[in-house]
Amino acid sequence: MLSTETTGDVLVVRLTEKRLDAGKAPLFKERIGSLIEDGASRLVLDLRDVEFIDSSGLGVIVSCLKRLGPAGNLAIAGASSPVKRLFTLTRMDRVFSMHDTPEAAVASLTS
Amino acid sequence: MIPAVSLQIDSDLDSVELVAKAVRALCSDKLGEDMLADVELSVVEAINNVIKHGYRGEKGLPVEVKISIKSDRVVLDIFDEAPPMPGSLLEPDTAALFDFNPENLDELPEGGMGLSLIKMTMDEISYSSQSGINRLTLTKLFENPGTRVQ
Repeated sequence: MLSTETTGDVLVVRLTEKRLDAGKAPLFKERIGSLIEDGASRLVLDLRDVEFIDSSGLGVIVSCLKRLGPAGNLAIAGASSPVKRLFTLTRMDRVFSMHDTPEAAVASLTS
Repeated sequence: MIPAVSLQIDSDLDSVELVAKAVRALCSDKLGEDMLADVELSVVEAINNVIKHGYRGEKGLPVEVKISIKSDRVVLDIFDEAPPMPGSLLEPDTAALFDFNPENLDELPEGGMGLSLIKMTMDEISYSSQSGINRLTLTKLFENPGTRVQ
């Protein structure tokens, strides 16, 4: 479900699923939760493989941001057009910084 | 005779994807990418609500989705046999769920977004219950009937 790579002090988490929906959201929450538990505080979520996210999936991403708290941060990379649309509709694009590439997202968290 | 397809799944969140893919395929030559995304999202949110709230997560219960392609619109009927949802839920949102302060983590919604998304993206919504069967009807108009919207 996830593959991870560390760049400096930022953890890039690639979601290797085509869909993040209500069926997959609980496992995703658990997996990313354990990364946060292990000390990750600045995360980039790489969504390049993801074609579809529903509001349950988005809710988990929001809950991760809350869990990271004021000291942490979470940026989004590689969102496809329908995924970007969900962030825009829910106005979550004002909450998460969205970038085309993981590199740009990492740079936004380290600048 | 209006072309229509009916799909029956059982109330399992892992089955919702099958309906989503079918709906997307059926509408793909009528709708542009953004509207296709809206229709797929709305049908998924509607079925998720039936399974999570109507059936309270219980598996093995019936959910039927009928997709009718008319000259100027796609109509999606979602049928279930759960206790009906309060009609007030389909009234226009008075509390703006997405009108949060993006700087305030505590204000951000983590759930309960499904119906708001459906209301934002569909052109018409109606809901009725008869003889223990609920029917949610979602309509999306094609902007240019018969031509592909880019």
